Amino acid sequence: MKRRKFITASALTSLALPLRMNGFGMTAHNELSPLVQSLGNTPAATEDRILVIINLVGGNDGLNTVIPLSQYGNYQTLRSNIAIPTNRVLPLTGVDGIGLHPSLTGFRDLYNDGLMSIVHAAGYPNANQSHARSSDIWMTGVSADQYASTGWAGRYLQQRFAGYPNGYPSASMEDPLALQIGYTATPTLQGDGQSTGITINDAQTFYQLIGESTNQAGTDLPCCDAGELIAFVRRQQVLAVGYSAEIKAAADTGANMATYPTQNRLADQLKIVARLIHGGLKSKIYFVSQDGYDTHSTQVDSLDVTTGSHARLLKELGDAVKAFYADLALQGSRDRVMSMTFSEFGRRANSNLSRGTDHGQAAPLFLFGTNLQKRQIGMPPDLVADLLPKNPQPWDTQRDIAMQIDFRRIYADVLTDWLGADQSVANQVLFQPFGTTSVLKPTIETAATGKWTDRSTWSAGRMPLPGETVIVNAGHTLEVESNVSVFKMEVAGSVQLKPGVNIQITGK
Amino acid sequence: MTADQAAHLLRRATAGPTKAEIAAFTGLTPVQAYNQLLANVNYYPEPVIHLDKNHPTFGQALNSATPFDGDSNFGRVQSVRFWWLGLMTNQSRPPSLLEKLALFWQNHFVVSSEVVTEYRFVWRYLNLIRDNSLGNFRTFVKQVTVDPAMLEYLNGTENIAGAPNENYARELQELFTVGEKDFYGNYNYTEQDVKEAARVLTGWRHHNYWWGGTTSISSSFQLSRHDTGNKTFSARYNNTVITGNNTTNAGNVEVDALINMLLAHPQTARFICRKLYRWYVNPNVTETIENNVIIPLANFFSSPANNWQIEPVIRRLLTSDIFFDISNRGAIIKSPLELIAGAYRLFNLPPPAASTGWVGAEKYLGAVWWQMLSMQMPITSQSSVFGYEPYYLASRSKGWLSSATLGLRYQFADSLIWPWLQVTPSYRLGLDLVSWAVSLQPSFGNVGAAASITTEQVLESFSQHLFVFPLSQAQKDFLIDTIMMQGIPRSSWIFEWNRFRQNPNNTDNYNGVRWRLSLLMRYMLRMAEFQVF
Repeated sequence: MKRRKFITASALTSLALPLRMNGFGMTAHNELSPLVQSLGNTPAATEDRILVIINLVGGNDGLNTVIPLSQYGNYQTLRSNIAIPTNRVLPLTGVDGIGLHPSLTGFRDLYNDGLMSIVHAAGYPNANQSHARSSDIWMTGVSADQYASTGWAGRYLQQRFAGYPNGYPSASMEDPLALQIGYTATPTLQGDGQSTGITINDAQTFYQLIGESTNQAGTDLPCCDAGELIAFVRRQQVLAVGYSAEIKAAADTGANMATYPTQNRLADQLKIVARLIHGGLKSKIYFVSQDGYDTHSTQVDSLDVTTGSHARLLKELGDAVKAFYADLALQGSRDRVMSMTFSEFGRRANSNLSRGTDHGQAAPLFLFGTNLQKRQIGMPPDLVADLLPKNPQPWDTQRDIAMQIDFRRIYADVLTDWLGADQSVANQVLFQPFGTTSVLKPTIETAATGKWTDRSTWSAGRMPLPGETVIVNAGHTLEVESNVSVFKMEVAGSVQLKPGVNIQITGK
Repeated sequence: MTADQAAHLLRRATAGPTKAEIAAFTGLTPVQAYNQLLANVNYYPEPVIHLDKNHPTFGQALNSATPFDGDSNFGRVQSVRFWWLGLMTNQSRPPSLLEKLALFWQNHFVVSSEVVTEYRFVWRYLNLIRDNSLGNFRTFVKQVTVDPAMLEYLNGTENIAGAPNENYARELQELFTVGEKDFYGNYNYTEQDVKEAARVLTGWRHHNYWWGGTTSISSSFQLSRHDTGNKTFSARYNNTVITGNNTTNAGNVEVDALINMLLAHPQTARFICRKLYRWYVNPNVTETIENNVIIPLANFFSSPANNWQIEPVIRRLLTSDIFFDISNRGAIIKSPLELIAGAYRLFNLPPPAASTGWVGAEKYLGAVWWQMLSMQMPITSQSSVFGYEPYYLASRSKGWLSSATLGLRYQFADSLIWPWLQVTPSYRLGLDLVSWAVSLQPSFGNVGAAASITTEQVLESFSQHLFVFPLSQAQKDFLIDTIMMQGIPRSSWIFEWNRFRQNPNNTDNYNGVRWRLSLLMRYMLRMAEFQVF
């Protein structure tokens, strides 16, 4: 395993050389820390990649989004007044045991076309059920007992584009590092003292409103907080003016080629994103949001549980993302755009009497793009063993879904395997190392010593599938107790086979 | 108080002062000034006028006993909002501290009319907020807890024994009383406390929400929906047990016990005082401030002598040295209210009285509402129970300013320079800069009798009380030479102005001076310094 890493790293270094020659931010700065040096190593193959973050605000109800068909009895018992009838659940090609909410035809199509992955039971240890705090945890990328004033994406961008905002827009990065469609800057993109994102509502009106430069280079700031605020406003003014023409130019050049659903606020936002990408805007991260997921009450209609506020939200979501990827395909940029949903928490496993659900813990997260290597990460939550509290007393009527995949593992994979950051950068951005989920890797590897059949043995949080290549990492012992089949297998650690048990290798 | 100190107090305690109000408060002591702001409180200064221009009763006083009609509901919600915006922008009554404080409480005990859409509920709730703003916090929490609008907003009406809805129980602790964490990040309560509080709160419900033809709304307690078991709280509440009560008065008995427990938590008073400090003084609370200001104020707030009276806390805060300290001037970015209502008040652009001039009032208040909405402050219609984002996100008041809202703030400034909204046939909502300059000119029509006003005099007048801090000499020179005069000598202004004095009806003369004055004022309204208060 060590050796493989070494080869990868040297490959990146050689790839990085031409970038340096093109002046990728490297010659402009004289005092480069080793860290900044390593950032120049963003491999050419990942240089123009884009991440779109879709925030589902309010806490999405995971159990009515991905429905556990194989545990339908338990599902029905937990939430009889909102349970989606079996015959209305959308099946997924080649998948047993789960299906999607009837409104999610868009997600079904994306999944069946290989453009979507489901990360089951994403969350973090010691879940916090406050909207504000849990959003903060997801957006700043910290543990439940840790606080950060900057966002995870903001920290990454600030490392990748050293010195921002000083000297930006620059010759090598004339566009915003990140772009948010909306009005209020998200903590996700917050950098050190300054957002790394530009917030716009609409490209054309943004340009008209910002207009020409009105800024006076002022050095005479008053004392204390007021001076800091005035300096902040001036920086906002400079950046807004500096970027408004670029954004407008991208919007003027770009075009939407697919038809988007109307009366869909998320689609309206993704439409702008697609147009800007097509117009050549070089922003690395886009942030859009859809609110209304705080479904404490009447998330389903009384006469038809497949309709109601949650059904409307999911329809908007699925239709919007599907149209977005159709558009990207037509404009030829689909391969370089990956998207990810997140919501501050899932909802209770059991419903309340208001045909709604209260704040819960883990819930599925969705990834979209052509580079996804795994259709599912983690296992659909077991509606007995995966419910919290673990040993319920008779009065514990409120049951939560336990976390399987720490969301920061997904962030780490996105940073390294998608955006091309070095592992050390990802560790620094997320304040600690996180093991891969392999969602963007062609292999599946051991995450710990353990049995083949134990989901926690594996990076992907589930057993390897017969067609997958398995890596047993150094220091790990894999116990195999019954016959299994894999495509290929690399063993740096060790494998204990129960007598008489075989591992069939199907690959050549 | 100096004029600057008087302006500081009025900027923070009201939607923003008129110049006359600043003049009237200059020379008073902070206590005298505060007493006036308190004495001027008027809980019901004018009726709510129906400001739905498409409705037959447009311009008449709204009556909540009118049989409810869903079809005309939206216009009535808007009328309630406009009534409140009218009280904030009003210039015919002396300045009071009520509306800014009510704005604080409405953003504390949030009920969003985005969700609770029935006007009678919105109206009753807003009256409750205003009536209790200066009252007793304990009473306030109780009334909010059983308020019909709150029972709808945080699902209390659906919180039933055996099937609790935890929404209100959580926010009551996290947002309304103890707060999620203390200053050092320690949690103030547990998930178990949320679940137990939800059980205490079972049984309350509201009546007649969106019920066509009904003539009143209310809330009540029903024992059959109440969880009569004992409720046991965590060590963070000293393991308090609220004994299950199964009388018809259980709702009151247990909710009172719950509120007593919440108020006995040492963090409750600090949480409220810290939030008030952030609202009135400075969003940035350091450990020094926590120890030297927040904790003593909180100790006073919850002391037996004060017993949770709110008004004495506001008095202490607004008359304190720390409030007037220079380090806290300009320490907040203006909210859309402070930007828009503040400018309209500073420039003497009042709303027409709705009871007599409802057509104009609807236009004026509509303009205030829509602009605030686009700048992310839809009054009474917050997008979540956390309130307007800049009051809870870590970026604090900076959150008002993204590149998107910056553009909208520029647009607002432009609407003052080039007014377009005709409020009444004789009232256009914006500045007449030429008339303003003319008012500065002695013997306007007689060039020989008095020398022309100078660029310096124009700047002095236009920038009076516009900014928190005085302009530096370099800024003044820049504004005159680069912005107003566009690089030509200041003496050219004298020439252009006198030419206008000699022949004010000549369009070219008029447009020439108007152009220069507009350049100057437009620039100043776009300056970063104008965004803080």
